[in-house]
Amino acid sequence: MRAAVGLFGGRAYDGVSVDDLVTHLGVHRNSLYKTFGSKRGLYLIALRRHLADDVRPLLDALAGESDAAAALRLITSADLGLLLLAAIERAPVDEEVASEVTAALTAVDQAIADALGVPADMATALTAAALGILLRGNPDNAVNALAQRLVPLT
Amino acid sequence: MPLIRIDGDDLVVVIEGLDKLWSFKGSLTIPLANVRGATADPGIASEPKGIRAPGSRVPGVITAGTFHQDGEKVFWDVRDPSKAVVIELADERYARLVLQVDDPRATVALVENALA
Repeated sequence: MRAAVGLFGGRAYDGVSVDDLVTHLGVHRNSLYKTFGSKRGLYLIALRRHLADDVRPLLDALAGESDAAAALRLITSADLGLLLLAAIERAPVDEEVASEVTAALTAVDQAIADALGVPADMATALTAAALGILLRGNPDNAVNALAQRLVPLT
Repeated sequence: MPLIRIDGDDLVVVIEGLDKLWSFKGSLTIPLANVRGATADPGIASEPKGIRAPGSRVPGVITAGTFHQDGEKVFWDVRDPSKAVVIELADERYARLVLQVDDPRATVALVENALA
């Protein structure tokens, strides 16, 4: 299942063919269909696995962090590839994906709010900023600049 | 080419034209409760299909009818593998249907949304 997380986190949903899944997961096509029902069925299980394996530990790490810059860095250095792709690509067209993504992001917001003692809307803004920095691929400078402005807040 | 539609709580597959002859089948009606999902899968046509009975297979031209493989029955109606959609079933005579459709993406969305 980690192989499926890697595949779906690395390229667009339509770019992952059943041939790719059969090759990388090392399963027979028939048993793939028998086990998961469809590519979408497999995708949903891979997404939940990603949330359990990659997002859950992030939440635990955030819980122990009271420093804003360090908390932001935890997010910008996390492996959130599949979550981000799911949010952009699949959530708008798949309600089940949308609810998983919303729940995961809300959990990150909550972890930030609890760890830094900031209001919920500020925590949401910080999560959004951290994810944006992760997407932009310039973590350190941007995190530092943001963290400096946050000192009076926290 | 088979036509796929949702009719109330059923998935209905209508086999058209001469394919009716090749596949020995006019239509299939499957309760949505027994449909597990749909996937566009152009690559499935290049895999071994098992033994056909009854049905027809002219490699490179048409695969139609009932095929037996690993104790499962699979219904095929495909001429152009690039437009193949796999519909996985449960508690049905067929384990899955492999059907050529006009617009695989639209068919997958139609079936998956009907299940949601």
